[in-house]
Amino acid sequence: MKETALDRVSRALNLIPFIAGNPGLSIAQIAERFNSTPVQISKDLSLLHMCGLPGYTHLELLDIDYEDPDYVEVTDAQVLDQPRSLTQIEALTLVLGLQLLSEIAKEPAERESISELQKRLGKLIGEEFTRSVTIADGVIESPVVKDLRDAISNSHIVSITYNSASSDTITSRKIFPIDLFFKDGVGYLQAALVDGLEYRTFRVDRILEFEIEASDQEFISKLKEPDFAQREIEIEMGEDGIFFLEKHNEIVTSSREADGTFFITLKVSSLDWIKRVICSWPSRITVVKPLDLAEVVHEITRSTLENYS
Amino acid sequence: MSDQKTERLINLTMALLATKRFLSKGEIFTQVAGYEGSPETKERMFERDKDDLRALGIEIQVGSHDAYFDDELGYRILESDYELNIGDLTPIELSYLSLASKMWRNQLFAESGSLALVKIDAHSGSALREDFGTSVLSLENETPLFAPLWEAITTHRNISFTYRSKGTSKRHISPYGLTLWRGSWYLVGLDLDKSEIRVFKVARIASDINFESKTSSFSIPEDFRIQDHLVMLQQEPRIVFTAKVRVGKCQSLRNEGAITNIDGEWDRINFSLGSDWLERILWFGSDVIVESPEERVAEIKDVLRSKL
Repeated sequence: MKETALDRVSRALNLIPFIAGNPGLSIAQIAERFNSTPVQISKDLSLLHMCGLPGYTHLELLDIDYEDPDYVEVTDAQVLDQPRSLTQIEALTLVLGLQLLSEIAKEPAERESISELQKRLGKLIGEEFTRSVTIADGVIESPVVKDLRDAISNSHIVSITYNSASSDTITSRKIFPIDLFFKDGVGYLQAALVDGLEYRTFRVDRILEFEIEASDQEFISKLKEPDFAQREIEIEMGEDGIFFLEKHNEIVTSSREADGTFFITLKVSSLDWIKRVICSWPSRITVVKPLDLAEVVHEITRSTLENYS
Repeated sequence: MSDQKTERLINLTMALLATKRFLSKGEIFTQVAGYEGSPETKERMFERDKDDLRALGIEIQVGSHDAYFDDELGYRILESDYELNIGDLTPIELSYLSLASKMWRNQLFAESGSLALVKIDAHSGSALREDFGTSVLSLENETPLFAPLWEAITTHRNISFTYRSKGTSKRHISPYGLTLWRGSWYLVGLDLDKSEIRVFKVARIASDINFESKTSSFSIPEDFRIQDHLVMLQQEPRIVFTAKVRVGKCQSLRNEGAITNIDGEWDRINFSLGSDWLERILWFGSDVIVESPEERVAEIKDVLRSKL
C-alpha cells in the first residue's frame, strides 16, 4: 500500500520522542522499530529538521543530529519530547495481549501485576469500552504450554510422548522446540526432531508426556532448511464447503463456488492426515485429484460401512 | 502527497501544542509556516488539516478565552490529551508490555502492538534495554474487519453486512461488543430485524461493514455483559457411546473411557462425546464400530452411504 502524507506525519511525530528518549540508536535500528527502511527514515529526519515552532529560527526548529548514521540524537525536541498517547486499538492490543499473557502466567503474583497493568491501560481506552471486548476463552489450556515456553527460551531439548492423530499412534521422540503458536485456540509447537534434524509441527494438546533433557544453544545451527514437499489436492463438495474453508483456511490455495458446489484446491504435506479429514467430514467430499487419494478415501469409507452390515 | 503538506501538519501540531491560549485562525495563518495563497485557499487548507490531525487521533480543542469577544474561535492541543499518560513503568512491567505487544501475528494487532511499543520505549527510554525476546505464544488469525467493527461499537453506529452461514443473509445490527473465543472473533449485537441479541462469527461476514447510521444512534444497555450471550460457553449435551475399537488403534478415544478386551482383534470402550461426535468417530475409519446408541449407528450408516 502506498504511504499517505498522514502515515508519514504520524511516523514523524512518533520518531522525535522515540529518538529523544533513546539517544544513540543507529538509523538502521530506528528503521527496524518503525517497520521502515533506513532511506525512508533519513528522509523523514531531513524533513523534520525543517520543522519547528513559529519563528522558525534555529532556536525554534527541531534540532536533530544524524550526521553519523550510527548515532542519532535529538538535541532539541521543542514540544515533542513526550510520545503521543496510545490509540484505542494500540491500547486494546496491549490489554488483550496482557490477558493472554496472564492466562499462561505461572505465579499468582505475576498474574496480579499483569492485571494491575491491564487496569492502567484500560483507562486509556475508556471504562465503557473495556467491557465491549473480552476474551471468552483465548486458548485451550494445556499444562505443558508453560514448560514449552521455558524450554524454547532456554534452548532445551525435550523428550515427548506424542499421540499422532494422522497416524493414530503413540510414539516417544526427542525434539528441540522452536516456536509456539495458537490457531483457532489450539496450540501448535514447531520443533525439530533431534534424530534426523527435520522440522515437525505438533499439536500441544496431543503431547502426553514431557521431560526436559539437555540445553543446546548451538542446535538450531545444525538444522537443515525445512522441506516443504507438498502435494496438490483438488476436491469438490456441497454448501458446507464454506465451513471446510473456514476450518482449513491455512491449506487452501484456491476456491470458487458455483450453484451450491465448492471447488477447492489444497496443498498438504501429509496424505495420512488429509485422508482422515476427508473421511471424517460429515458430508460427501469428492476427491478430484490425485487419483490415489480418491481411491484410499473410497476404500476407507467402503470398509467402514461394511463393518456395520 | 507532498513534503509541504507533511511539514505543514507537523508545524501546525507543534504550534497548537506549544500555545497556552487559543490561537485564532488569523494567528495560525500568519505564524505557522506553510499557509500560503488566497484567504480562501488558506481557509480550505486549514479545514482539511484539522480533519487530518483528528484522523490521526490528535484532539484539537476549539474555544475562546475572552468571554466578551466570543465571535472569533481559537484552537489548541492540550498536552494532557496529546501525551502518553501511563506513569512510571518498572523493568518487569516493561517486559510484560513488550511480550504483550508481540503476542499477535495478524496484521492489525501486530502493527498496533509494534507502534504501541515504540511509544512506550519513547516514554521509558527503554529501546536499548535487553531484548525481552519475541513472545513464544502468539495468535495469528487475520481479522480485517476488526477495525471497522470496533469503530462502530465505540461510536455507537448501526451497521449492516452480509452474513454467511448455510446460505447468506443481510443483517442489520447495533453492535455491542466483540469477544475472542478459541482464536476467532465473535460480534455480539442487537439484531434490528429480530429484536434479539445475537452472536456472529466475524470470519463468516462476507461483505464490508456498512455504517447505517450517524454516531450515538443507540446506547448499550447498562446490564449488558458479553458473557451472558455466548452460546458456545454453555455446556453442550454429551452423548454416551459403546463401541468396538481395534486393538492398538483409536488412541484418542482410548483416553475417554473404560476399556475391556474382547479378543485379539477388538476392545470395547464406553465414552462420551459432544456435538463433534460424528467427526471424532469417522476419523478412525474402519478401526471403530459403534454399537450404541442405535439411532447414532443409523446416522453413521446414512452418512457413510451418502459419502460413497
